[in-house]
Amino acid sequence: MKKLLKSLFILMFIAVNAMAQDRTITGTVTSSEDKLPIPGVSIKIQGATGGTSTSADGKFSIKASPDAKIIVFSSIGFATQSKPIGSSNVINAVLSSDANALDEVVVTALGQVRKKNTLSYAAQQVKGEELTQTRSSNAASALSGKVSGLQIIQGNSIGGSTNVVIRGSKSLTGNNQALFVVDGVPVDNSNNNSTNQRTGRGGYDYGNAAADINPDDIESVNVLKGAAASALYGSRGANGVIMITTKSRKSKGMGITVNSGLTIGTIDKSTFPEYQTEYGAGYSSGYESGDGFLLIDVQGNGVKEKVVPTSEDASYGAKFDPNLLVYQWDAFDPYSPNYKKKTPWVAAANNPSTFYETAISNNNNIIFDGASDKGTFKLGYTRSDDRGTLPNSKIIKNILNFGSTYQITDKLTASALANYSKVEGLGRYGSGYSGLNVNQNFRQWYQTNVDMMAQKDAYFRNKQNVSWNWADPSTPEGLVPKYTDNYYWTRYQNYQNDTRSRIFGNASLNYKATDWLNILGRVSLDTYNEFQEERVAVGSQGAASYARTDRSFNETNFDLIANFDKNVTEKLNLKALLGGNIRKSLLNSIFSTTNGGLIVPGLYSISNSVGAVAAPIENYQPKEVDGFFGGATLTYDEFLTLDGTFRRDKSSTLPEGGNAYNYYSVAGSWLFSKQLKDKVDWISSGKLRVNYATVGNDAPWGSTKNVYTSQNLFGSSILFAYPFTTNNPSLKPEKTESSEIGIDMAFLNNRIGFDASYYLTKTKNQIIPVAVSAATGFTNTYVNAGVIRNNGVEVSLYGSPIKTQNFSWNININWTKNDSKVLELYNDSKNLQLASFQAGISVNATLGQPYGTIQGKDYVYNANGQKVIGADGYYKITSSTTNVIGNINPKWIGGIYNSFKYKNVSLGFLIDIRSGGNVWSLDQFYATYTGILPNTVGLNDLGNPVRNPVTNSGNSGGVILDGVTEDGQVNTKRVVIDANSPTLPQSAFSYDASYVKLREATLTYSFPKAMISKWGPIKGIDLSVFGRNLWIIHKNLPYSDPEENLSSGNAQGIQSGAYPTTRTIGINAKLSF
Amino acid sequence: MKKSIIFFAMLVSLAACKKNITSLNIDTKRPSEVPAATLFSYATKSYSDAVTSASVNTNVFRFTTSQWAMVTYQDEAQYDFGTRNIPQAWWTTMYREVLQNLTQSSTIIKANATLNAGIKSNQLAIIDIMQVLAFSTLVNTFGNVPYSQAIDQQNLFPKYDDAKTISLDLLKRLNIDISQLNTASAGFSASEDLIFQGDIAKWIKFGNSLRMQQALILADADNAIAKTAVEASDAGAISADADNATFKYLAGAPNQNPLFVDIVTGGRGDYVAAKDLVDKLLALADPRLSQYFGTNSNGAYVGGIVGQVNTISAVSKPGTKVYAADAPTLLMDYVETEFNRAEAAERGYAVSGNAQTHYNNAITASILYWGGTATDASTYLANPLVSYTTASGTWREKIGVQKWIALYNRPFNCWTELRRLDFPKITAPVGAKSGFPNRLSYPSNEQQLNGGNYSQASGAIGGDAVTTKLFWDKF
Repeated sequence: MKKLLKSLFILMFIAVNAMAQDRTITGTVTSSEDKLPIPGVSIKIQGATGGTSTSADGKFSIKASPDAKIIVFSSIGFATQSKPIGSSNVINAVLSSDANALDEVVVTALGQVRKKNTLSYAAQQVKGEELTQTRSSNAASALSGKVSGLQIIQGNSIGGSTNVVIRGSKSLTGNNQALFVVDGVPVDNSNNNSTNQRTGRGGYDYGNAAADINPDDIESVNVLKGAAASALYGSRGANGVIMITTKSRKSKGMGITVNSGLTIGTIDKSTFPEYQTEYGAGYSSGYESGDGFLLIDVQGNGVKEKVVPTSEDASYGAKFDPNLLVYQWDAFDPYSPNYKKKTPWVAAANNPSTFYETAISNNNNIIFDGASDKGTFKLGYTRSDDRGTLPNSKIIKNILNFGSTYQITDKLTASALANYSKVEGLGRYGSGYSGLNVNQNFRQWYQTNVDMMAQKDAYFRNKQNVSWNWADPSTPEGLVPKYTDNYYWTRYQNYQNDTRSRIFGNASLNYKATDWLNILGRVSLDTYNEFQEERVAVGSQGAASYARTDRSFNETNFDLIANFDKNVTEKLNLKALLGGNIRKSLLNSIFSTTNGGLIVPGLYSISNSVGAVAAPIENYQPKEVDGFFGGATLTYDEFLTLDGTFRRDKSSTLPEGGNAYNYYSVAGSWLFSKQLKDKVDWISSGKLRVNYATVGNDAPWGSTKNVYTSQNLFGSSILFAYPFTTNNPSLKPEKTESSEIGIDMAFLNNRIGFDASYYLTKTKNQIIPVAVSAATGFTNTYVNAGVIRNNGVEVSLYGSPIKTQNFSWNININWTKNDSKVLELYNDSKNLQLASFQAGISVNATLGQPYGTIQGKDYVYNANGQKVIGADGYYKITSSTTNVIGNINPKWIGGIYNSFKYKNVSLGFLIDIRSGGNVWSLDQFYATYTGILPNTVGLNDLGNPVRNPVTNSGNSGGVILDGVTEDGQVNTKRVVIDANSPTLPQSAFSYDASYVKLREATLTYSFPKAMISKWGPIKGIDLSVFGRNLWIIHKNLPYSDPEENLSSGNAQGIQSGAYPTTRTIGINAKLSF
Repeated sequence: MKKSIIFFAMLVSLAACKKNITSLNIDTKRPSEVPAATLFSYATKSYSDAVTSASVNTNVFRFTTSQWAMVTYQDEAQYDFGTRNIPQAWWTTMYREVLQNLTQSSTIIKANATLNAGIKSNQLAIIDIMQVLAFSTLVNTFGNVPYSQAIDQQNLFPKYDDAKTISLDLLKRLNIDISQLNTASAGFSASEDLIFQGDIAKWIKFGNSLRMQQALILADADNAIAKTAVEASDAGAISADADNATFKYLAGAPNQNPLFVDIVTGGRGDYVAAKDLVDKLLALADPRLSQYFGTNSNGAYVGGIVGQVNTISAVSKPGTKVYAADAPTLLMDYVETEFNRAEAAERGYAVSGNAQTHYNNAITASILYWGGTATDASTYLANPLVSYTTASGTWREKIGVQKWIALYNRPFNCWTELRRLDFPKITAPVGAKSGFPNRLSYPSNEQQLNGGNYSQASGAIGGDAVTTKLFWDKF
């Protein structure tokens, strides 16, 4: 470390050396609005390296060589301006605020810098500060609602994965996640969560790796939405690209920025169940006592007394009665003050919401940066400590960023960038239908009489697994948990931990051969090591176990790119590039677990296994893709642009002989405002763009040849099995075609504008493991089949309704509507199951339907569309589980961001909206079965408690279900509602997933410059108060957040043991020196 | 400019030096070729696991036969097989785990030019017997199933064959297998053959017992064929406990009996005794009662109600012998074979001995197997309710009731016999979602994945309902 620092400082010193020039140009830069000087504007001579910046009074001085032609002024918040250098040595500039102006410069695929007004495809930029203002430790999740065409879904677990999909899912079973590229380094964003985890069968969400990107180091994010924009990235760009440019100093000198923030989080109660308080433990009110209790001789005096049926994880039991004294679970805990004591039969004072704690996070960041004529450097360090709302959970992140450029000679520039991150997780939230997820109980299987604080005391008294859920309190052997451990035991004993260390970065040399030719050679590397440990302690309900996963991934990219930029004629500019890329990656992992329990309690090692340890599961998956590519952009008079790209890839995952594939894009744009300029003065700019692109894709690793899977040894017998998914030696590359048309316009001096696109994509010949009849001897086989079409509209609107010297109001609206349709599947098959869940629920690609249908049992409807009730008075339910009962896709999504600025105070807030689509809730399904929710109690149409016995008289309980009998008559049969009665089909638990959320709000006070200038080296102080997930203004899913999911990936739309939303409020101080 | 060309050339040459990249796609951690026997062993274990398990996700026939009940969760006990997709799990296990691996094993053996001809012939016959066992399980569960076109990577839409045609073909295959087995040669080695540890003579007996069992299932539908096959099998079939086809689980994880995993490792106590069986055992003073079940917390034997919540302390739980870690699973045994001989005698087939002797042999063997004594057995047989001469009903009822008791812990076979002999009469579960299941409906994904063939089959058998009777189920 010391050495590293030393070399950093050496580099830094070299970087700040100055260099002689020939001619000095001076001037002043002012703002077009208030005519005041702008300090810190970066000034560069085009074609030369280095630059300077304006002083506090807006003045600058820069040296220029005699052949210098253009001087460029740029500053954050202002439109970049280029001016020709004439004979005069004084050049003044007036900058106008950029407000998404079309002449903004953007970084596009492979790091090419383009003027926005020549872009022929959709790209939307987000500034770094918009991502960090609420101090979210995950940059991806902070993009939600800020970009049209981009759908972000993040669950509520700590450090969980983020689903990032641009313009809909294009691949039936493959990866649909956008590619993250940080300063030219593709950053792997795979989610390594197990299939069980993703389908709600337990496990932990370890997050995906884009979380390793330091939000504080982000200068800007550019979202390349369509294939035409991202075609140069090859197949990986087919899902769109999130291009991240990290910070680098723009002006000469040195700076230090410090951010320090503290946030606290509490659960949003509207996303957690409310519990009924009328009835307690049991599946019925029967049992031995006849009124809901067991009869056990607790005192050993031969008298059988009433005991709560502790084994029953439901609340359809006896009605609460404060005058009734019964033995509850704590009467069987020898260390409890209630041991062998009867206590009143009442609803718990502390329900499971009291299990959640206040989450506390702090986040500190410091960045040093510097620049001289010769180069730039930066060094940043961020540490964030997130403590979750569950006891014993925390994620600690340490991120170190380094970046430097240095001009070795006039023509040769070297640059290097490195990010080191270490994420340490402890006690991540258990997910899905597992005892390790406390919500599985809180939402599905609970006794409303159990007091959470009493459970807490019971655990902490001796740190033993004292559960309310005794299997059989009548015998000493029965005093073990039947299904459920004490929740504190779960959190403090059965916890997991993990670390992920990652380095990504690149080193490049840029050689400026002539003023029109640049050659870039670059090596970029992304490598991480993960270590994950999961444990179940001896004494838990399930068998004790220890499992570990060691995984490493690395990817190296070698790029060689020649860039041409030449004015062919005075008005015609040609930009072209030609390059090659070699991508090598390797996934290397090993998973091992104990078997049959642990010998020594508390010792977590594989060798502590009771049973023979099965062979570890090893994966060694090297891959290489070699590609070359070219592109050309012709711009005529800065208003007509024609783009074309071509790429050919050769992938190791496709069969030899057919492993190379080509794709291309063509695009054009017309800045029509240029023609209107003098005629229609209220149009500031206007551009029409149209493009078409194809992208090829290769096969998943190892899908061309069958291999056998090793099984546990049976004694000394060796067992092997044929794979469940058979491979295909004749796979062909898959292909996505996309076309797009769009328009960008700005009016009234850029005060208001919009950017709209319509797109159509079709992915064909998909490489999918189609499900086949098991009678074939396997259940899936890889084939080329299937077509998905996505078409949609995305609109971004921006405006500044008020703009005065002291007060401004800016508004940004993003709106996205994507429609997908599965046009073709394999042969005659009409459905491809993407994932199956509990209760006979599945998420599917169904022919003729939008991608992601939720299927399950449904009501039986008659010809008039009425629900049919059987002779027993209950709904008739289909026996088939293949009825479409929902769809995971929203009708549209949108975000509205408002910001107000009055003098030094600014206020911003983001409303995030999702309309339509469904979420299916296993939680509600089981909660209805177990009777924990308020909708399972109350009065019926006769004014009697619904849980009262059904009689034929006026005092009857029960309900009359809404529907008609098989002969079409209105149902009049009154039925019992309890756990043992059939009531509702799965389709009743498919909810509308719409929401309107106040996602973010920020209030910032920037100390006036005049005041700060007296305080020595400090250049700026910003204090802010912010909140995230503050308020779910509207939703239709009861007791849960419709956005909550199990994991990122294709199987969305299902909730199982959902976590409540954490509402965070924080403060942050930002100091710059 | 010159420098740039050198620089460019350097990088291009870096890019140019590479090998054949396709080799990267070869899995270096998993084999593409394995010894044939390892697949056979795996298939054998998979079949045994499936028929032994009590998981509510796969094998729920213990409730269907009213031998076990559930404490809390009643879906499967109430004949709801759809929510947890039982038919799909059962079907998939038979085709994908059992039949596929047997087929692969057989293919590798056939292609082995250097294998001794006698061993090869024995190994192929043994594999074929196991295939017959798995296909018979499918046919007797569903009716028409994919058979002639099943297990074929080239045919992703296999047609369903007529159930009777399959059953007759299975008998033919057994004829060939039995004649092909030759004790002069070895078969699989002791560690490869998880049922008979390489004993060919026992495989011949197993083949005969299986043929007798399958033939009797056909008896009500095609008496002549059944008669021929049973008579051909009688002499060669299992004649002592020592010949039993047993899958011996191991005491240590992960090779314990699936019931141990379900009950002890799972630690949930979901399963309890069912009233029908406990009441019957009590009424007959059956010595197996204390082996089959434990007592409730009051020391009494009480069966739970199938389909209704049962309080665990109030009812009997399965006996510890049933779910011991190393409890063996019987795939075929002397007890069942003797009951089959008794039935054959009653049907007038030319088998040695009379019905009563075989009936007595079967019951005695069963009592001894479960740990009773010879005295227990003779006392029991002397009970007028048990004695073949005095027990009530026709031979179907006498044999049916005792077979139902003896086939405890062989839930699939027990269910088949119950459907075939129609005795004893089972109490319908509380909240039954349908009538008594005479078959399982086809897996729901077959409708989507093999729709045309599915529709054709479902029409051919008279509708894809659980109450549809299979072709042999005449009464």
